[in-house]
Amino acid sequence: MSLWRRKKREAELDEEVRSHLEMAARERRERGEKEEEAKRAARREFGNMGLVKEATRDVWGWRWLRDFVEDIRYGLRMLRKNPGFTGVVVLTLALGIGANTAIFSLISNVLLHPLPVRDADRLVVLKWSAHGGLGYHGYSDFGFCHIDQTETEQAGCSFSYPFFSQLRSQPKVFSSVTAFAGNVGIHLTGYGAPSKASGALVSGEYFQTLGVAAAVGRTIQPADDTTHSEPVAVLNYGYWQSAFGGDRAAVGRTIYLDGIPFTIVGVAEPNFTSLSPGNIQDMWIPLELYTRLKPVWSGGPDDPGNGWLTIVGRLQAGIRVTQAQTAVSLFFRNEILQGAKPLSKEGDDPRIILTRVQEGLVGSRWVYERPLYLLMVAVAIVLLIACSNVAGLMLARGATRQKEMAVRLALGAGRSRIVRQVLTESVLLSVVGGALGVLFAYWSLTALRSANWLGPVDDFAVNPDGRVLVFTVIVSLMTGILPGWAPAIRGTRVNLTPALKENAPTIPGVAPRHRWFSFGRTLVVTQVALSTLVLIGAGLLVRTLVNLKGIDPGFDANNLLLVGIDPTDKGYKDAQLRSLYRQLQSQLSLLRGVVSVTYSSDTLLSGSSWVRSLAPQGQDKDVEMKMNMLSVGPRFFDTMRIPVVVGRAFIPSDYDSTHKVTVINQAFARRYFEHQNPLGLYLDKSDAKDSGEEIIGIVADAKYDDLKKNIEPTAYVPLRGGRAHFELRTVMNPETLIPAVQSVVSELDSRLPRLEFRTEVAQIDLSLFREHLVARLSSFFGLLALILACVGLYGLLSYEVARRTREIGIRTALGAQQRHVLRMVVGQGLALAVLGAALGIAVAAGVTRYIHSFLYGVRPSDPATFAGVAMLLTLVSLAACYLPARRAMQVDPMVALRYE
Amino acid sequence: MGEKRERYQNRIELLQGTLDLLILQTLQWGPQHGYGISVAIRNRSGELLQVDTGSLYPALHRLEKQKWIKAEWRISDNKQRAKFYQLTAAGKKQLTRERSKWSQLSDAIAGVLQPEE
Repeated sequence: MSLWRRKKREAELDEEVRSHLEMAARERRERGEKEEEAKRAARREFGNMGLVKEATRDVWGWRWLRDFVEDIRYGLRMLRKNPGFTGVVVLTLALGIGANTAIFSLISNVLLHPLPVRDADRLVVLKWSAHGGLGYHGYSDFGFCHIDQTETEQAGCSFSYPFFSQLRSQPKVFSSVTAFAGNVGIHLTGYGAPSKASGALVSGEYFQTLGVAAAVGRTIQPADDTTHSEPVAVLNYGYWQSAFGGDRAAVGRTIYLDGIPFTIVGVAEPNFTSLSPGNIQDMWIPLELYTRLKPVWSGGPDDPGNGWLTIVGRLQAGIRVTQAQTAVSLFFRNEILQGAKPLSKEGDDPRIILTRVQEGLVGSRWVYERPLYLLMVAVAIVLLIACSNVAGLMLARGATRQKEMAVRLALGAGRSRIVRQVLTESVLLSVVGGALGVLFAYWSLTALRSANWLGPVDDFAVNPDGRVLVFTVIVSLMTGILPGWAPAIRGTRVNLTPALKENAPTIPGVAPRHRWFSFGRTLVVTQVALSTLVLIGAGLLVRTLVNLKGIDPGFDANNLLLVGIDPTDKGYKDAQLRSLYRQLQSQLSLLRGVVSVTYSSDTLLSGSSWVRSLAPQGQDKDVEMKMNMLSVGPRFFDTMRIPVVVGRAFIPSDYDSTHKVTVINQAFARRYFEHQNPLGLYLDKSDAKDSGEEIIGIVADAKYDDLKKNIEPTAYVPLRGGRAHFELRTVMNPETLIPAVQSVVSELDSRLPRLEFRTEVAQIDLSLFREHLVARLSSFFGLLALILACVGLYGLLSYEVARRTREIGIRTALGAQQRHVLRMVVGQGLALAVLGAALGIAVAAGVTRYIHSFLYGVRPSDPATFAGVAMLLTLVSLAACYLPARRAMQVDPMVALRYE
Repeated sequence: MGEKRERYQNRIELLQGTLDLLILQTLQWGPQHGYGISVAIRNRSGELLQVDTGSLYPALHRLEKQKWIKAEWRISDNKQRAKFYQLTAAGKKQLTRERSKWSQLSDAIAGVLQPEE
């Protein structure tokens, strides 16, 4: 019903009633009654005009709407009248809702994002599994899928080129099959300044299999993926926007990737950023081009021993996943066992598992899954505290509004009507709080991003979406209804007579007051308990971070500049490459502020590893030696400050000599040479032509790829080729050296691609990114919880002091000292806080073991954390008690007694 | 819930069926406004039935909603603008139904009340 029609009907009803009254009065006048008397009698006879109208309006059937509008109007008026109360409640809710919205938008974008492909349920990714693993000599999966390896079972999702081409020609279970390989770092020229870009190599059926279209131009077709095809590239929509400014003329242009001319044929549709979450590539290029781009990890078309392709297939219509799995497994077994060089044994049961792409290609999503859910639990608890805080505030206000309620009840308002109105008020508060919360979430995500707290999570393109909005609306309504309910019911349970008396505002009916008290106290105890829980969790995570940062990596990570350089695609190799590295090393050492310089195939703690398994010399051939490998330049141990324990480090002549040498770490010696002196022994002298490496020295243990891992046996060998990372030991902030290093390199050879700079400390921080994020955010939420709980405690005590003003006045008049009053108020508050903290600690002791996997070097029941949190809580709650207590001490007995 | 309010509702319930019948019957004699209806019922019942305005107006609006009566603003005999209600065709049929229901009911009650012979 429109507002206008309603207004008209309302006016008609008024007139109908008015005419009734006038006719009744006229008749009385005609019977001889006096004007005034007639009017009054007619009124009396008519009854309660408001109620008659109300009952009539009820018949119209849209009473709820009218009530609703009225409630909102009235609610807004009430909220405007109490700006302090409104402000505190809205702010509390905004913080709670905002924190939830922010974390949920991370979850929504990182974990719940549906794949932007057609009919994703029919797309499956292939995974292999075999007891002893496959005999691959090369393997890389580019982080597309995450597979938990077990002791007895090895699995993976990378396959060789020959396997893919065999599978492609078997059109039995899949309607189409595609393979792709991960990030190729490409040097881009021919469009603006030279820059670095990333690309994925995809087979010609990629876009067709996924059902992804082009936004501009076309996608890669099977015809682009042959040995004779002209090189083409399809751009990621986001990259097209950022690097090409969304220029439609970019399509058709020629760009140079690593010096090879490519034609940009199209831009993929905007919502397709990546098949595997978090692995966003700037462009897609046909798989066949690996022969010309030569990524180090690719295997040749005939090399079945190099797994580097991820395979995704679209199921043929009518074929179930299990059927397809059986068929592909059979095919895989044949290929693996019957090939020229078998990769597995019959007994190892090699097989294929098909998983839906949504679950199978998790990308880096799995890294954030648990941390994000943990944070979601934390913010949910914060919201719970905020809700109970608001409930407490409303309850306190409800007590002061009892006279209003009593008046309304006395005037004939229905109880359900009043409950509805109170609820409308609290929902209004939560809606305003929710709107502010969205702003707060948006703002905090921006802040997190610019402070680089989000780090790699930002790759998931975190943006508020429809799902987040729905979530926030639901949460807001819940936070409105939940805390409003109890005060609404309680507020209307009033004994009218005492409530309407003159002194009602300060002493409401005895029974309801007592009830709200115990309820209010329960709320405060719950809040303190919940915030204790969050604080303890945060404390454990912070201690974990501190422990991780305190780990001795075995080398000096401070003042170390890392410089990545790749001269290999400029034609450098072998002796020429070694001489370039040697030259760079000596020239960089001359820079002011540089103590020493070395280089290695990879930097320590970079997260990447090179693992080799060997049969040891002079021992049982069945016992394999597994070791981490690192090729290093001269002065490596010296520069990294890894002490040489026995023997010697590498000398320049080791680099060109045909006699191969190696330096092992102490863990190596302990594990594999427990009862013999390893010096002079050879590693891998299995081949007559290859003499293997002679062990010439033992160095102290140092962490290899990951700070959290235990130190494993590691063998260092002289770096003879390939790309390198230079390590510069400096006396000052290593980053100040970047320009100087840059100019040294370009003086030596200006054609060298851009260098990658990083400090070792920053690299370690990046590897601890997840722990940083969780520790920082959870301590932020812990503090938020603490503040909210203290506001709750403060509110309760303030209310109580106000209510007991008279009692305190009497006590003071009877001779109570200020310290007695202080003890009374603070004691009560502290008792609640201690009770809550004890409860929280008890709960925490039971549940912290669930975050066991997040912790490092600290037990879930760490007494120091528990004690620290208890202490913090006591101190802060003392502060929260002090203000109301001071007010209580200042009560003037004369004023207080006259008050009533 | 206020007591006053409950009293009203009780009375509406009590009179629900019969009040509708009385209103429809009154309107059969010609269009009439709310006040006129209440006066007519009072007079014809020998001052016995006092129609409460809190029941009368909701009933009128309900009957109007059910399209048994329709309303129109007119000027009354003594130059007073008033809302006149008037029976519709559907209302006439309803009146017949209500009347037979009422006579059945009163026969039934009379039968029960009649002393046994």
